[in-house]
Amino acid sequence: MEKTRENRIVFWLFLAPVLFAFLMVVVVPFFMGIFYSFTSWSSSARVGGGLSFIGLTNFTESLTDPSFLYSFILTFIYTAINVLAINIVSFALALLVTSAIKGRNIYRVGFFLPNLIGGLILGYVWQFIFNNAIPGLGKAWAFLAPLANPDYLILADRNASVLALVLVGTWQYAGYIMMIYVAALESVPVELHEAARIDGAGGWLRLKNITIPMVAQAFTITMFLTLVNSFKQFDVNVSLTAGGPSTMFLGKPIFGTELLALDIYNTAFLANNLAQGQARAFIFFIVLVVISIVQVRTSKKREVEL
Amino acid sequence: MKRITLILIALALVLTIVITGCKKEEEIAKGPIVLAQGKPEIDEQLKAYAAQWSEATGIEVTIKSCGGGSCDLGQMLKADYAAGEMPDIFAINGPQDFLEWQSIVLDVSGEPWVKDTSVAFTYEGKTYGFPVAVEGWGMAYNADVLAEADVDPKSLVNLAGYRDAFAKIDAMKADLGLDSVVSMAAGPEMGWVTAHHNFNSLLSNGLDYGDTSAADNLLAGKVDAKRLAEYADWVELLFQYADKAVLTTGNYDAQVGAFATGKAAFLHQGNWVDGNLAGAGANFDVAFAPHGSMEAATEGIFVSAPSFYVVNSESKNTDAALQFLTDLAGTEAGANYMVNEAGMIPAFSNINLNPSGKLSKSVQEWAAMGKVYSWNQYLFSGEFRDQTLAPIYNQFANGAISKARFVDLMTEAFKSL
Repeated sequence: MEKTRENRIVFWLFLAPVLFAFLMVVVVPFFMGIFYSFTSWSSSARVGGGLSFIGLTNFTESLTDPSFLYSFILTFIYTAINVLAINIVSFALALLVTSAIKGRNIYRVGFFLPNLIGGLILGYVWQFIFNNAIPGLGKAWAFLAPLANPDYLILADRNASVLALVLVGTWQYAGYIMMIYVAALESVPVELHEAARIDGAGGWLRLKNITIPMVAQAFTITMFLTLVNSFKQFDVNVSLTAGGPSTMFLGKPIFGTELLALDIYNTAFLANNLAQGQARAFIFFIVLVVISIVQVRTSKKREVEL
Repeated sequence: MKRITLILIALALVLTIVITGCKKEEEIAKGPIVLAQGKPEIDEQLKAYAAQWSEATGIEVTIKSCGGGSCDLGQMLKADYAAGEMPDIFAINGPQDFLEWQSIVLDVSGEPWVKDTSVAFTYEGKTYGFPVAVEGWGMAYNADVLAEADVDPKSLVNLAGYRDAFAKIDAMKADLGLDSVVSMAAGPEMGWVTAHHNFNSLLSNGLDYGDTSAADNLLAGKVDAKRLAEYADWVELLFQYADKAVLTTGNYDAQVGAFATGKAAFLHQGNWVDGNLAGAGANFDVAFAPHGSMEAATEGIFVSAPSFYVVNSESKNTDAALQFLTDLAGTEAGANYMVNEAGMIPAFSNINLNPSGKLSKSVQEWAAMGKVYSWNQYLFSGEFRDQTLAPIYNQFANGAISKARFVDLMTEAFKSL
């Protein structure tokens, strides 16, 4: 009796610092944020400003703002392409580095390295590649001349810019997801493959019927990670395209590659409307939670237990 | 033994309390003060000056610089304000910024430097802001190239003059070693060149200094179709003769770099590029020509003191902050920092030093002749310029919309105000 009570005290004592930090930097700001989203708060010293309740105004204004709606749609499209691209690439890379090729450890490190570079820097590096290096190639070799034509600049075209975001996102994130796949692939029992091989199953059949079901657990994790990360994409967006090039939506000129996170940021800090930015962030949070729960549930169904 | 340790610890505690207590009393008397400003390019010089001033006065100064592409001063101030750590002195740009902080900006009408400047920030008859520097922009031109192409800068005062000059230089591009006639940027990060600076041509070109009628009309939703049509011609002309790669995707470095390396004859920027030109080793002659946004001749460039230091009235150290500003304008060390170190054009008549930058000199020459137009873009909110106007310019630059559509979208934007 005495022992368990002591244990409990020690348990909470050890947990206290983390719990405190979690409360202060996650839970409290989260609820404060929800509170602010119903007010006109702007953190400035405007005369007659201050804090007043304005009900759902921030939410209704957000949902009728073309740039927010556009960002919503764009983020869904971007996420769909990005999740597919990252998972296909990283799974292929994982298969490659778990096969018997020479120097696979070097490949593993190489593919993982981009993940160690910060997204902002990476965005600027790729911006330089798209704006200077690729046209530079066109100038250097005659047969690549179209690349130097400013009409074909990748970041000057809306659709191409979205694909550029996907390309950079994949380049950055595929190595990380690859590591999860590698771990999963290496835990697939060799006996299963051997048995199947004796029964005459080829590479494709074994991949489809043994490898993929056996790593379904990893798919649950990677799909979740890539989904959430694509949805929250911000740093590469800021540094690579800065929201441009512009386009028209619902008759209003808006930024053409402004993903949700960037839209929230711009609402809060460019438009000086912190409370509305907070409201948008809250909508974003709800949508993200719903999507992640649905995704995890559906993926879980496909997992196979041995 | 144990008891001695205890006593020692107790003594140490008491001592620390006494020492910190004393220190606090001292602090109330003077400083330390924090200054937040938006020009990263003068960060080093300002810090050096602040250190020098601290040494002389014993008041500690911390400089926080936040600006350029990577940091936003307004955003930092909001975070500081929310955290209860508002700087003692901070920079604002024009009336929209002032309104944002109005209730904590100290009235400085009685300060000694006020009589020495005509461009302090005033609101309803009271002085609130210390002018950081005089700045200006027009069309910066490479005088050597213009001379070689036999184009007289004096002809560059209206649309017709620029049309002829651009066409003439464009035809000689290969001989002059140019990539494009004008270095213009309208990419997603460069909204401040189009929707702030270029936009001001529509607001104040050809009007008396301080005349805000054109801007007021637009703010009220009344659009002068003729003025806007001529302005659209001007924007089209600039975009047409620009290097398309720089125009659509270039950043500040790409834009200024093209001019600094002699690959463009004109540059759409202000005198702040002096430092960049010197850094790039540009050894040709440069000066400003007026903007040609109208058919009528408009002989003058856009000059203003756009940025002001204001004192936080809620600060405990307003006296020290006021002294800092007084010394900045009134001492030799302050003048030396402003003009010689930071290369700025001083906004105070008691300072007789001149900056060495060629474009800064050009701004001073235009100002001395009285041929100047106001900066009225700050009468529009940052949101309107960055989120509504900038995308319109960007689409026009990309060729996504025609000039007629550009005029329509601009008109709609003003009507929605």
